[in-house]
Amino acid sequence: MPMLYVVLFFLIFSLYLYVVLGGADYGAGIVELFSSEENQQITKKTIYRVMGPVWEANHIWIIILIVILWIAFPAYYNIMVVHLHIPLTIVLLGVTLRGVAFVFRHYDAVIDNSQKVYDTMFKISSLITPIFLGMVFGGLISGNIVITGDVASLSFYEAFLQPWFNIFSLLIGMFFAALCAFLSSVLLIGEAEPGNEKVYIKKSRIAAMVVVIIGLLTFLYGFITGKAFVMGFIENGFAVVLVILSAVLLYPLWMTIKKGNKVWSRFYAGLQVFLILLAALVSHFPNVVITTDASVSLLQDIAPDSVIQALGVALIIGGLIILPGLFHLLKSFKMIKILER
Amino acid sequence: MENLDAARLQMAFTLIFHIVFACIGMVMPFFMVVSHYKWLKTRDQMYLTLTKAWQKGVAIFFVTGAVSGTALSFELGLLWPEFMKHAGPIIGMPFSLEGAAFFVEAIALGFYLYGWGKLPERFHWFTGIIIGLSGVASGILVVAANGWMNAPSGFDYIDGQFTNIDPIQAMLNPAWFTQALHMTLAAFTATGFAVAGIHAYQVYKKRKVELHKKAFKIALAFGAVAAILQPISGDISAKDIAKRQPVKLAAMEAHYNTEKGAPLYIGGIVDAETQEVSHKIALPGMLSFLAFGDFDAEVKGLNDFPEDERPNVPMVHYAFQIMVGIGSILLLAGILYFVSLKKRKWLNSNKYWLLFILLAPMGFIALEAGWIVTEVGRQPWIIHKIMRTKDAVTPMPGIVVSFYTYIVVYATLSVAVTWLMLRQIRVLNHSN
Repeated sequence: MPMLYVVLFFLIFSLYLYVVLGGADYGAGIVELFSSEENQQITKKTIYRVMGPVWEANHIWIIILIVILWIAFPAYYNIMVVHLHIPLTIVLLGVTLRGVAFVFRHYDAVIDNSQKVYDTMFKISSLITPIFLGMVFGGLISGNIVITGDVASLSFYEAFLQPWFNIFSLLIGMFFAALCAFLSSVLLIGEAEPGNEKVYIKKSRIAAMVVVIIGLLTFLYGFITGKAFVMGFIENGFAVVLVILSAVLLYPLWMTIKKGNKVWSRFYAGLQVFLILLAALVSHFPNVVITTDASVSLLQDIAPDSVIQALGVALIIGGLIILPGLFHLLKSFKMIKILER
Repeated sequence: MENLDAARLQMAFTLIFHIVFACIGMVMPFFMVVSHYKWLKTRDQMYLTLTKAWQKGVAIFFVTGAVSGTALSFELGLLWPEFMKHAGPIIGMPFSLEGAAFFVEAIALGFYLYGWGKLPERFHWFTGIIIGLSGVASGILVVAANGWMNAPSGFDYIDGQFTNIDPIQAMLNPAWFTQALHMTLAAFTATGFAVAGIHAYQVYKKRKVELHKKAFKIALAFGAVAAILQPISGDISAKDIAKRQPVKLAAMEAHYNTEKGAPLYIGGIVDAETQEVSHKIALPGMLSFLAFGDFDAEVKGLNDFPEDERPNVPMVHYAFQIMVGIGSILLLAGILYFVSLKKRKWLNSNKYWLLFILLAPMGFIALEAGWIVTEVGRQPWIIHKIMRTKDAVTPMPGIVVSFYTYIVVYATLSVAVTWLMLRQIRVLNHSN
């Protein structure tokens, strides 16, 4: 069934774009949170100019992602919404508060002290939301979900807390938040007003270091505790090559950031995410849920063929309309630096 | 509170909240585009001021609608995992297309809001049209998915298994058209009267009278046309429900016993115990006529259905009365508006403006009441005659906690958005 590949492509494509675009968007708030007062104002203005036209589009990728999941992979989606109910609800509240804080602070007709409230709301929810999103992902792969036909036989802790409320998930949550901050800082290098680039070059370097450190910690912790997710990485030759490649490419990434190269720093940053995601996929696909005793395949209990066919066609048509529109939007607001030369 | 009740209340509450923002975000772009068009044609500065003021409203409402919609797309699964496990693939078609339409809307909004002075004038204006059209398309697609819950189709249900799934037929279920038509008109009516009412208040208070009169005219033109067309759509819906969900129709009318030449009750207090409806006006034969186009037709009463397949009758009946009552008032107000375009003297009367101030919230009250009719009227089913709501609810206990959390967050947001709108209007009145 070739359409299944179309559906899988869009699933992974949406995930990648959500991590990169949505991630950079969350990261903007985190960068602002960890800035001096003066830099906060600069960042706020830059974020508005850069993110304003595109941030809503950035966040629709998660809706596409979730809709593909529930249509094509209902069994997988069911595990997620039942066992990860709590962190997902926190993510939703975070998305809501962050979104309204963003418009409130830029569209309030009167500029006064209420800006402080919006700013705080925006910054805090920008940090909390990706941490919990990461914890949801961590929950799926940390090997703590108990799959049973009868959820009622489990205690509340076993069924609804243990899957995500653990050190490994928290580390992945923090890794994702750091990644967001990193992606955003790199993006902002190219968007800052002349003279302000240095602020973001410095931030990109700090964020890159934090990402690498938390990444190593997560890996180490997973290795020591024997997490199936990490073990699968090590045992898969292709995944190891990809991880080594991404480690090697940290050097050009570091240098292009140092030079403030707008095009190449973005390219290498995006490539890092791509390589890590690809490594995770090749080592585990299609077993994207790792439970206490085994793995659950994404392709298990997949939707019937007629549904996959229809979804594939809808995604192709939707993609043909959306992608050129999105490209034109990014281009019009000078977000694609390589076209500016 | 029981988990099921908490889950139902949370779903109802978040939907009631989302619908208001979604409707305004869907309809207001049309007002904005008309005003923008008039600016381009006449270069009357007032239209530019108005367009920009409305655009801020659109931005705030769109985002609030978008984030509460994102929350809803997750809540479907979080609260009703069993429902989504089976229904998700079947009704995926309208949802995936809705995702695409919503994406187009977000892209167009990006162009429109940030495109002033950067894009060619006509293209910029055109992106505004795209916002409106894709918004309406989104609304229709989501309602089509709801229609499927009322009129499940596009599958065979054998031994508790959904087989032979046809997603296109599921999307084009028997209820999609009547529901989508009714809801689209309702959105235009509610938003038109609400926006017009706010501007009527400004005229009443003698603030920037010329500007607000222009705004009032644009908004109410949409609202009035929709309000005048709505009864036709309501009639189609009633006849459709009489055929497909006779128990819902019976609950709407608190019609307990099957009879020929059934009377239509207007108002009335329902006593569910004794099955009596007191203090009503009964129009003989009218229910039969409205449901089947024949004064003598037989209309099935609630007692013909098993007790565990009936919805909450008083709630559905009262909600239906409120919807129809307000709908009729808005129809008259719509006609009054078109007459007033000829009788210009009326526009100088404070009573005229006062009337439209009072009508401002009415459309939304009717719209919410209508959704209570269709959603509460569908109970106890989440998928009509296939799956009960109680069998779909999440196994996670303590939903009451998230219910109260949502209440606090959304109530705060409602206050905040209202406050922001008041500030927009104040600044508009002090601008040049």
